[in-house]
Amino acid sequence: MDDSRPIFVQIAEQIENDIIAGVMSEEGQVPSTTEFAAFYRINPATALKGVNLLVDEGILYKKRGIGMFVSPGAQDTLVTKRREQFADEYVRPLLTEAAKLGITPDSLADMIRKEATS
Amino acid sequence: MTTTDTIVSRPSTPTSRILAVTKLHLANPWTIITLPWMILGIIFAASVVVWLLIHAAAGPQSFGETLEGTQWSGGLNYIFVYMMVVAVQAISITFPFALGYGVTRRDFYLGSAVTFVGLSAMYSLGLAILAEIEVATNGWGLGGTMFAPIYFGEGFFQRLFIFFVTHLFFFFVGSVFASIWVRWKATGVTAAILALGLLLLGVGAILTLTENWPAFGGFFVHFGFVGSYAWSLVLTVLAGLAGFFILRRATPKS
Amino acid sequence: MTDVIQVTGLTKRFASLEAVKDVTFSVGENKIYGLLGRNGAGKTTIMQLLTGQDFATSGSIKVFGESPVENASVLQNISFIKESQRYPEDFKPKHVFRSAPWFFANWDAEFADRLIEQFRLPLDRKIKKLSRGQLSSIGVIVGLASRAPLTFFDEPYLGLDAVARQLFYDTLLADYAEHPRTVILSTHLIDEVANLLEHVIVIDEGRIIIDQDADSLRSTATNLVGTTKAVESFVAGREIMHRDGIGGLASVTVAGLSPQEKQQATAAGLELSAVSLQQLIVRRTNTSEKEFEQSA
Repeated sequence: MDDSRPIFVQIAEQIENDIIAGVMSEEGQVPSTTEFAAFYRINPATALKGVNLLVDEGILYKKRGIGMFVSPGAQDTLVTKRREQFADEYVRPLLTEAAKLGITPDSLADMIRKEATS
Repeated sequence: MTTTDTIVSRPSTPTSRILAVTKLHLANPWTIITLPWMILGIIFAASVVVWLLIHAAAGPQSFGETLEGTQWSGGLNYIFVYMMVVAVQAISITFPFALGYGVTRRDFYLGSAVTFVGLSAMYSLGLAILAEIEVATNGWGLGGTMFAPIYFGEGFFQRLFIFFVTHLFFFFVGSVFASIWVRWKATGVTAAILALGLLLLGVGAILTLTENWPAFGGFFVHFGFVGSYAWSLVLTVLAGLAGFFILRRATPKS
Repeated sequence: MTDVIQVTGLTKRFASLEAVKDVTFSVGENKIYGLLGRNGAGKTTIMQLLTGQDFATSGSIKVFGESPVENASVLQNISFIKESQRYPEDFKPKHVFRSAPWFFANWDAEFADRLIEQFRLPLDRKIKKLSRGQLSSIGVIVGLASRAPLTFFDEPYLGLDAVARQLFYDTLLADYAEHPRTVILSTHLIDEVANLLEHVIVIDEGRIIIDQDADSLRSTATNLVGTTKAVESFVAGREIMHRDGIGGLASVTVAGLSPQEKQQATAAGLELSAVSLQQLIVRRTNTSEKEFEQSA
């Protein structure tokens, strides 16, 4: 588990979460860096770094004089990215933890199926 | 994110900066205007009471002569000493505060000097007018003297000048001591007082040894009231200059 | 990005004590800087030198390109709020707020009024009768409402309770976002302001020991927690800043890990967490945390 990432990365991730969840809709306006800064109680420069991270990745774009907007297709892009990371972020730790407790991958799969249907 | 102008676009002129310091000294007029006039009023009231008591004791027939002694009344001297205290406070306490407002030492001193000159003008005008009334009413109808003692001259303009010059003297002497205090604290003030004491003693000793006291007295007789007081301006200017140069390198050690 | 302040080889000696030793740094425009260090480290002295309130023994200071000493055109763009500001005899807060606009061209009276209300400052009470917190809030309000292009706050919130401090941080942040200016904040309450700072300068015994962007400073160390065996095998050969442990668990602060190294650590079953700015600075100044807190 890595909680040591810089704050602006965590901000960017929070925005991504909102986009994936549909809270921020495509072509919708995103809060300004000032608002982010005030909300998270961080320096506006840090908030700006987080937003710019997403602009560089094409998730957000800037409309001059108006503000930041979610790019069309952003949600799909993010979901795809997260899926690729899913194995690394969730599956591998799950397997490691299970291995510590002597749970085989097959038993793990059974557990998953049972949980999903309950 | 918009950017501000790095330098404030509205530059201030030296005059406006100096006047800002003057306004700062006057921002709370209690200590430098209200209180002194109140004290004056109290001293006056007390004096009136004393005169009435004296008359009551001496009886009605002696009205003319009983209060002749008050020609030398020292009631006003409290005010002059108070002015010195006002100057000391204004300089020593307002100095670190003004520096906190970004005022330069030069502007602070000049603004304070302007304040003192202004206050001197106000007080001397007020006192001169009161003196006129005192003379016109024959000592407030009681033969008393407070505002127009003999050693402050005769006539409105003489008194006005003398009051003005005396106020200036006490203000700037006070401010030079304050500057010494701000810069060198208690050690400095003690040293200054000792030095001053030694100087006066020294002068006194010389005059005594050379038997020049009559000449010393003759000096004042020669120049008369107004002239003698005018000479105090020399000391006032010296004090003013000294205060300026001492404050130039002072820091607001809090 | 212009430099608002440029200091070269600055030294200040008081009689036998050298409070500031050959210090060199610059401050960039419109950022929030933290000037951090223990009490007596030299933070206030440096601020007094930068604002022309005290005179340098040697070295050069340029603020807005010029020396600030007795320089009205520079000084009128600076607001310096000191922790121990004294006010003229018999002054009341209303006198302070009446006079401040005469000296600060950018003064925003409405903003000041809102702050006075939020900090619950009684305008008509003599300053010598105010509580420590109320006294501090005067300085805080003047510093904020002056909107001076260069604003110094020298531990101005001592005496403010936690609520008022948070109010100060929030207001500073919001106003800075809307009206950018260069802010220099000195404090020993590092963690409280850590997220506000863009750049960090740490002073220890008159010398600068850290002069770095806050984010990059944070990434210079990582906390690793895990079984003693796993931790020790991972950190072998690395620069260790701090070691702690209990039972079979170990917690080690290790210097600079690259993203790949971090992945390796996670794969090894270790938990990674950020090192707080305060911990970083404390460990870099090689003092124990207890010593640091006691000086506060």
